[in-house]
Amino acid sequence: MTQTQVQEYPEITITLNVNGKDFTVNVKPYERLIDVLRYKLGFLSVKEGCGRGECGTCTVIMDGKLVPSCLVLAVQARGKKIITLEGIAPQGKLHAIQKALLDTYAMQCGFCFPGVIMAAYHLLSKNQNPSEDEIKYALSGNLCRCGSYLRFVKAVKLAAEYIRKGQVYFDLKKVPP
Amino acid sequence: MASSHAEYVKIVEEMFERKKEFRLIGQYVQRWDALDKILGRARFTADHAYFFKNLVYVHAVRAKYAHAKINKVDVSEAEKVPGVLKVITHKDIPGVNDVGYVLPDQPLLAYGKVRYIGDTVALVVAEDPYIAEEAAEKVYVDYEPLPVITNPLDIVSFGGLKEKEHTLIHDERGSDVIARFRILKGDVRKGFKEADVVVEGEYRTQFQEHAYLEPEAALAIPEHDGGVTIIASTQCPHEARRAISRVLGLPFAKVRIVVPPVGGGFGGKEDVANEIGAKAALAALLTGRPALVMHKREESIIGHSKRHPMIARYRHGAKRNGTLTAVEAEIILDTGAYASLGPFVLWRAIVHSTGPYKIPHVHTEGVAVYTNNVYAGAFRGFGNPQITFAVEQQMDKLAEELGMDPVELRLKNILRNGDRTVHGQLLDHGVGLEETIKKAVEATDWYRKRAEYAKQTGTIRKGIGLALLWHGNSIGAEGADYSSVTLIINRDGSITFRTGLTDFGQGSTQGLIMIAAEILGVPPDYFRVDQPDTSATPDAGPTVASRATAMGGNATLVAAYKLRQRLNQVAADILKCSPEDVEIHAPDVYCKSDPSRKIRWVDLIEECFWRGVPLQEFGYYRAPKAVWEDETGQGEPYFTYTFGTIVAEVAVDMETGKVTVDRVTTVYDIGKVINRVGAELHAEGGAIQGMGYALMEELVHDENGRVLNPNLYAYYIPTIMDAPKEIVALWVEAGYRRGPFGAKGLGEPSINGIAPAIANAIAHAIGARITSLPITPEKVYLTLKKLGKIKL
Repeated sequence: MTQTQVQEYPEITITLNVNGKDFTVNVKPYERLIDVLRYKLGFLSVKEGCGRGECGTCTVIMDGKLVPSCLVLAVQARGKKIITLEGIAPQGKLHAIQKALLDTYAMQCGFCFPGVIMAAYHLLSKNQNPSEDEIKYALSGNLCRCGSYLRFVKAVKLAAEYIRKGQVYFDLKKVPP
Repeated sequence: MASSHAEYVKIVEEMFERKKEFRLIGQYVQRWDALDKILGRARFTADHAYFFKNLVYVHAVRAKYAHAKINKVDVSEAEKVPGVLKVITHKDIPGVNDVGYVLPDQPLLAYGKVRYIGDTVALVVAEDPYIAEEAAEKVYVDYEPLPVITNPLDIVSFGGLKEKEHTLIHDERGSDVIARFRILKGDVRKGFKEADVVVEGEYRTQFQEHAYLEPEAALAIPEHDGGVTIIASTQCPHEARRAISRVLGLPFAKVRIVVPPVGGGFGGKEDVANEIGAKAALAALLTGRPALVMHKREESIIGHSKRHPMIARYRHGAKRNGTLTAVEAEIILDTGAYASLGPFVLWRAIVHSTGPYKIPHVHTEGVAVYTNNVYAGAFRGFGNPQITFAVEQQMDKLAEELGMDPVELRLKNILRNGDRTVHGQLLDHGVGLEETIKKAVEATDWYRKRAEYAKQTGTIRKGIGLALLWHGNSIGAEGADYSSVTLIINRDGSITFRTGLTDFGQGSTQGLIMIAAEILGVPPDYFRVDQPDTSATPDAGPTVASRATAMGGNATLVAAYKLRQRLNQVAADILKCSPEDVEIHAPDVYCKSDPSRKIRWVDLIEECFWRGVPLQEFGYYRAPKAVWEDETGQGEPYFTYTFGTIVAEVAVDMETGKVTVDRVTTVYDIGKVINRVGAELHAEGGAIQGMGYALMEELVHDENGRVLNPNLYAYYIPTIMDAPKEIVALWVEAGYRRGPFGAKGLGEPSINGIAPAIANAIAHAIGARITSLPITPEKVYLTLKKLGKIKL
C-alpha cells in the first residue's frame, strides 16, 4: 500500500557478480552496496559496524580491491566482481585462513571476523609469505574489540604456511567441530 | 528450601574435593559456535531482518540540547511524510514510561525535559530507514534550554562530598547525588598518626566507550495474542523482558526475548536492550508489523552507557618498613544523565577501594552524581578499573617514598589465606595473590629490568611497572544472586543445553558445556546450545559481574551431576556392577573394574528412555548470602575474589611522548582454569582494551554536553598496530571450594590492572607520574616539558 508512495527516486537495474554468480537487482541511486548484499541478496556475512568505512566489518573484495561495502554505492558495483566471505571456499570447504583462525583459537564474538578474513584473504592472494609487519598493515583497517589481534597475526602466518604447502582448502567434515 | 540449598552446595563442594582428574577442563577446546562464525553463518540480530517481510524501521528523534525543558512536541508534519506510519511519543506508551535499571529515573521517551543529548523525544516509524530519518527532521520540539552541567565537581565538592547548590538535573528526585557508600574501619586519624610516611594523590579517569563491533539492534514481531517477540542484542534477556513488559503494560509471559549471537557486550549491552527492545516493541504493537531498531555507530555511542569517569583523592599512610597504617579516599563518579547501573558501580568501586591489602584504619567514601553527560553504567570492571588506577599508583608512590621496590611493598601488605579484608571478611582459603606476584616477577625478570631501566639516558626509554588487583565475583550484596541451566539428553544421545546466560563473545557458554561434558563423560560436540530465549531458557540472572562461569558453572555442575547419578544407576544395573564403578567415556560406557563389560552411550540413553528415567535436569545454584553494613562497609560483600598481578613493559619516546607497550604479563588466580582458550582470550582482550583505556580512549563532551567524538574515526580504540606486541597469560589455581571445580570469574578482572600497570611502567621510564587517563603522547610530552626533561 504505502510502498508505492515512497518511490520518489526511480530505481536502476544493475547486474553484479557475487562469488562467481550474476545477480540482477533493482536499486535506488542512493542505495549502498552493503544493503544490497545483505538485504537483497542475503550475503549476511557482510556486517555493518559503523557505516563510515572505519571499522572494517563490511569489507569485501571488488574487482580485486579491498573495499568497505558501506562506502560503495550499489550502482558503482554494476558489472563488478564481488567476493564475500561466503565465496572464499567451495561448498563444504574451509579456506586456509579460516582453518588457521580455528587452529589458533582466535574466535570471540566473531562480528569482525568476516572483514578480518576478507582482508587476510586479500593479502594472502598477493603474498604467500607475509612478514609480521605486512600482516599488521593489511589488517590495520579491521577493528576487533574482543582483542584477538595477536592471534590474527599467528593465523595469517599459519594460513600462508598452509597455502605454500598447497593446502588452500580444507574439508569441513575433517575439521573438528 | 533449606535442604535443597544444602544439597546443591554439597554437590559443588563434593566435586571440588573429589574431582582431580580431567579430560576437558583446562584443555584447549574449540568453542561451540566457532565454525558457524568462521563461515559467516552465525546470524546476529540485524541479520534477521533479511528473513522478514513488511518490516518497518524505527528512528529515534534525539534531543537538541543536553538539558532543556520541553514545552511542546508537534509530530503532525512528520506524520504527513509519505511512508511514515506513525510517530510515537510518550503519550503512546501503554505501560510505564521508564527503562531505568536500578532507579526509575530514565523515561523511554522524554516528557517535560531532556537531560542529555541522547534522550529520545519521539520515534518515527516508517517503511524505509531513509524516510524515517528524513521525517525525524520534521518533528518539532519547543525547548527551553537549562544550564548544562558536565563537571561532577559542580554537583559535589571534595572535603565531605556534600551536594552543592545547582540547577537540579533530576528535580523530580530532589537531588543529583544518586548513591553514597563508604568503608569505615578503625580510626584513620590514629592510622595517619602512626604513619612514618604519607602520600597523597588526585586521580582522574575518563568516559570509556565499549565500542563493541556490533551496534545495538532489536527486531520486534507482534504476536497473535497481543504479545511480542523481540530478537535483541543483549546480555540480559530476562532483565530486558522485565523492563519491556513494564513499558508495554504486558505480563512477562507475553513478552519473549530471543538472543541470537551478540557481537560484543563488555557490560554495554546490559541495559540498553531495555530501551531499544521497548522501542521496537512499541512500534511493532502500534503498527502490527515487525519493527527494526538498528543503531548507527553515532547513535550507539550517545545512546548507551559508558564507563564512569572518576575523580578521586587518596591518602596512604605507612610505617618505615612499608606496613600500611591507613587509607583515606574520596571518590566521585560521574553517572551522566541517568543512574543506569551507577549505584552498583559505585558500590563495587568502594568495596575494592583499598586494593587487596590488609589495612587497620580505613575511611574511603564515594558518591555517584548526575550530570548532563552521556549516562554511565556497566563496563567490564564496573568501577574497579578506576579505583585500581588510583590505588596502584598510590602504592608505587609510597614505595618510591620509602625507597622500597614496589613488589616488596606489596608483599608486605597483601591479603593471604587466613587474613581479613578491610570489610572484616575472613578469607580462609583460595587466596592466590602472593603466587600471582611471584609468578609475574619471575616471568618478567622484574628485578633486573627494574634496576637496569633506571639507568637509561637515550631517546627511547623503557619502563616496567606492576599493578595488583582483586575482584569480587558475581553480584554480591547488589541483589539476588542465582543461576540456572537445563540439560536435556535427547533420545539419540545428543544433549540440549539451555541457560539464560548469554555468550556475547566471551566464551562463557563454552565453559559451561565443558563442565557438563566433563561430568557426563561425553565429548563437547554432543551438545547443542539453544540460544537464550525467555520462553525456553531458564532465568539465570544477568550475564554480568564475571558470574557466568562461577555461578552458571555451579548450576551446570549440579544438573550434570544429577543426570550422571541416574545414568550410573541404570548403567550399573545393565552392566552388573556398582554405580561408582561405572565409567562413561562416550561413545562407550563400561565398568572401571572390568572394561570388557560395556554398552554404548546411545544404548544407555535408549534404555533410560524405556525405563522411564528422566533425561532432563534443571540445575540451580544460589550464591551464599552477601552481607554489607551500609554505615561502615563491614561484612562479606562478595563470596569470593579473583586476584591478579599485571606487569607492563613500555617504551617511551622522550621527544614525542609516544608510549609503546612492548609486553603485558598477566597472572590471574581464577581458582581453576575451566576453558583455557576462553581464559587466554580474556587475558589478551582485557590487556588490549585496558591498553586503550590507559593510552588512547576518551569520549569527550563539550561544555554544552555534546559528544565531540561519537564515531570510530575520533574515538580511538586500539588497532592491530597499537596492540601490545606480546601478551603473556599465566595462571594461578588456588581453588575456591564453592566454585565449579574451584573456578572463579575472569571477565572483568582482566581489565582492572592494565592501566595502572602501564601508568607505573611509564613513571618508571620517564621518572614522572601521570595521574589522569588517557595517558596520551600530548600529556607525556607536556609533563616532560614541564619537568625540564625535554627541551623542544
